Amino acid sequence: MSTTPVIEVDRLNLTYGDFHAVKDLSFEVRPGELYALLGTNGAGKTSTLEVVEGHRRPASGTVRVFGHSPRDRRVVRPRMGVMLQESGFSPDLTVRESVRLVGRLTRRSDDVDRVLDLVDLTGRAGRKVSQLSGGEKRRLDFATAVYGTPELIFLDEPTTGLDIQSRDAVWATVDRLRENGATIVLTTHYLEEAQQRADRIGLMHQGTLHREGTVAELTRTLPAVIRFSLPVGAPALPLRAVPDAEGKVVVETFGLQHDLHVLLRWAQDHAVELQGLEAGPTRLDDVFRAISN
Amino acid sequence: MLSIATGELIQIFRNRLVLITSLIIPVVVSAFFIRQHETYAALGSLGYIAAIVMFTITAFGLYATAVTTLASRRQNLFLKRLRSTAEGDAGILAGLLLPVLVLAVVQLTVILTVLAVVTGAPANVALLVVAVLATLAMMVGLALATAGLTNSPEHAQVTTLPVTLGVIAVATWVGISGTENLAWLKRLLPGGAATELTMNAWNGGVAVTDSLLLLAPTLGWVVVAVALATRLFRWEPRR
Repeated sequence: MSTTPVIEVDRLNLTYGDFHAVKDLSFEVRPGELYALLGTNGAGKTSTLEVVEGHRRPASGTVRVFGHSPRDRRVVRPRMGVMLQESGFSPDLTVRESVRLVGRLTRRSDDVDRVLDLVDLTGRAGRKVSQLSGGEKRRLDFATAVYGTPELIFLDEPTTGLDIQSRDAVWATVDRLRENGATIVLTTHYLEEAQQRADRIGLMHQGTLHREGTVAELTRTLPAVIRFSLPVGAPALPLRAVPDAEGKVVVETFGLQHDLHVLLRWAQDHAVELQGLEAGPTRLDDVFRAISN
Repeated sequence: MLSIATGELIQIFRNRLVLITSLIIPVVVSAFFIRQHETYAALGSLGYIAAIVMFTITAFGLYATAVTTLASRRQNLFLKRLRSTAEGDAGILAGLLLPVLVLAVVQLTVILTVLAVVTGAPANVALLVVAVLATLAMMVGLALATAGLTNSPEHAQVTTLPVTLGVIAVATWVGISGTENLAWLKRLLPGGAATELTMNAWNGGVAVTDSLLLLAPTLGWVVVAVALATRLFRWEPRR
């Protein structure tokens, strides 16, 4: 497989009047990877995505998609599918008509019924878009993004408003596309989705790339956490611990396995019950919380 | 482009309100003018009836519907959706406007033919076709410019009034009072020269070369409208 990046962003700047939304942002997305662009609210990720998708002109900097300007629709768009954050379908067209129309305009070919089946909208094919629920509209949007199996797919908040079955179905389809080599750019507020699926994560904050790397790289710098409650009159702990707001004991550690072992042995030896014991690696949530601190 | 146009045509026929304002009302008004043609011919001339019918259809059928359609497609982000595909901006606009344009052409052809059958053929059919085409171009250009100032389909009811009422008023003024007085003002107002050209084509009696000069103000409005549209037109709702 080629190692030329699918997306190259170099010193991108974007301004709205006086507001500097994106500042000197550089990153690249490699073929076949799932790159999650995450960030706090107003971090500039939607603005960045809009430039990369070709909807917006940057104030300065260069963006290349498949080596071309993303504004060169004729060349770039047939190779990429876009799921927008807000649906943007005509309420008076039916589901089938919408998929057929947008699908044709991508210049890719596919079978409308196959795509409708993929997102479980076959039963809704003849309904007007205005009669769909929010989740069904998200699925319609996803259907047009994956129509014709593009090489690059932008998923902007793909699972917002979806029930768990639809969410699993969306990810199953994404997994199949990835097996065929598709590159995915994802934004989401469900951090566990990014944690489970992203090859790399770009974490934006105030218009810049605050951190970038694999999930392991991002979480490595923060300690893992062990949390439990102690019964009254328990002996002194073998580890340094602090109480949290709910009165639970919190142990932060970079050696989770070792410290957990120490703790459990101590509990066993002293016959102490560690109530509500939780132990886990650092989650992306914690990385996010660490940004604003 | 044709896929977009097909989708638009489906939507026009599914949306009764659009169908009534863009198709039915202009036809009813035009039918009224043809039925009362003796009254209006006495007031102005048969060419005046042709001009007023032309502006009724292009202002209410074509122009107002085009502005409403563009504002509505922008408001529900359909324009942004179309721009996420491989279709270029020109193709998107052409696709969106083609159905209303074709409907207007069909309406005009039918109604002017009826007028000719009822009252007698126009003096110069080719010149009449030129006048109609120039007017269609002007109204499409004005629609694109107005759409830039229109935030929603509801807002279009207000933003389209200056042009719709304006061209009807100008056509009436020119059609009834002629261009002996204030000729240049009348010709420079939007629709003024097109009205005079239409009257010349229908009534005859004016040299074709003199009539063709009247194309200049109308085409000038096309240029102004397109220049305004390139500055004002927006693809996404204001946030």
